[in-house]
Amino acid sequence: MNRKRVVVACGTGIATSTVVAEKVAEACRREGIDVDIIQCKATEVATHAPGASLVVATTTIATPVSVPVINAIGFLTGVGEEELSRRIIEALKD
Amino acid sequence: MPVIQFILDLGASVMLPLIIFVMGIAFGLKAGRAFRAGVTIGVGFVGIGLVIGLLTGSLGPAAQAMVERFGIQLNVLDVGWPAAAAIAFASQVGAVVIPVGLLVNLVMLLTRTTQTLNIDLWNFWHFAFTGALVTEATGKLWLGVAAAAVNAAIILKLADWTAKPIQEFYGVPGISLPHGLSAAYVPIAIPLNALIDRIPVVRDIDLDTAKIQQRLGVFGDPMMLGLLLGIALGLLAGYSVQETLQLGVSMAAVMLLMPRMVRLLMEGLMPVSEAAREYLRRRFQGREFYIGLDSAVAVGHPASIATALILVPVTLLLAVIVPGNRLLPFGDLATIPFVVCMIAPIVRGNVFRSVLIGMVAITVGLLMSTSVASLHTAAAIAAQFDIPAGAAEISSIGDGANPLTWVLLQLSRLFQ
Repeated sequence: MNRKRVVVACGTGIATSTVVAEKVAEACRREGIDVDIIQCKATEVATHAPGASLVVATTTIATPVSVPVINAIGFLTGVGEEELSRRIIEALKD
Repeated sequence: MPVIQFILDLGASVMLPLIIFVMGIAFGLKAGRAFRAGVTIGVGFVGIGLVIGLLTGSLGPAAQAMVERFGIQLNVLDVGWPAAAAIAFASQVGAVVIPVGLLVNLVMLLTRTTQTLNIDLWNFWHFAFTGALVTEATGKLWLGVAAAAVNAAIILKLADWTAKPIQEFYGVPGISLPHGLSAAYVPIAIPLNALIDRIPVVRDIDLDTAKIQQRLGVFGDPMMLGLLLGIALGLLAGYSVQETLQLGVSMAAVMLLMPRMVRLLMEGLMPVSEAAREYLRRRFQGREFYIGLDSAVAVGHPASIATALILVPVTLLLAVIVPGNRLLPFGDLATIPFVVCMIAPIVRGNVFRSVLIGMVAITVGLLMSTSVASLHTAAAIAAQFDIPAGAAEISSIGDGANPLTWVLLQLSRLFQ
């Protein structure tokens, strides 16, 4: 199976994206999906998005990108975490 | 108590892992996970120390040379929030800030004086920072802890009051932002915005965010910003071409590496923070409340980014022309989005207004961070960071220029 690339972004590329990156990695490990996670700032998404399968962000992505963007605030609040993991896995499977 | 003294003498890189380990166990983490979390924090702390060394060691002499050549008195180095956060967590107040902050939140939730459940434990460092400065200023640990608690309470109230506009503006239902730095500018922004509303012509001005991002994008890239500033300072300091280029690359390194080190602190804190979140959520099941998050979820908005891009060169200019300022802005030029991200919803995304308000906040902030420089430096030394003797003092914008921190610091002096 191909290695998929996921871009995880937040305002700083340090704070909340670290939490989300861990969650995405964990969900993918469980499903046996091989992923390469790039953690960055929201402003850098445009640079990293080409070649990626998915963008997962905790903040607004202002620049238009060609790949699906999933808002991952749920991983921070703990509300709807499983639903969020499921959507991310689905987006990566096809 | 020799035991306590022994633990304090271990220094932050050993003491913090111990504290996190104990806290992890208290929140029901497995010993292995808690231990790993603790060690990760210790490693992050050592890493931050190395980068601060690089910053003060190379930028310090350049700043001094510049002062000698031009008489521009910018000899207080802005080490940036990553260093300030490390200093805060390494302080005596930092050692207890997580339980204290949680307790304040619990009590306020139980007495229904707040609607915010703050699960952003990482940003408790802002409260610890206030506490650390107060302790340095008064010599009293209890005053520092009290200041941290009051700071936490005020931030919760500010988060409550701003929750609705923030939820609408950023599209984040159920969220509030109890962020120690961002929320502190709300009390400044509200009256200033009301004032602008009364000025004809000015109240109708707005700016185009897309154009700003296109033209000023370089100010949003910390590494390139570091390189440019390093080279500019080298030239101002009268360095040779070789030395100037070396300073440029060193400063690019500082800007890139500092946040990477802080990421380790975040990673280490994460298991504890998740366990605390689960505990709080269970405790308050069925209650309607806002979940308090890091304002990092808001800084990606075009209005915040555009404002911050404009404010980077403006901050540098203000640093030179504001009389009495001694802060050389550097590390926290990348932090400006956090200063403005809670101003943006108040001015409804009008970038012109948030730039105006941001300029006022930064002008005042430069003077505040200058005035706390000696305390900031003392706190860094107390945290066993290597500040070369006789070198320039250090300070920061986050949170050395934080108006709430400054006000609490002045109030605490009354109890001396």
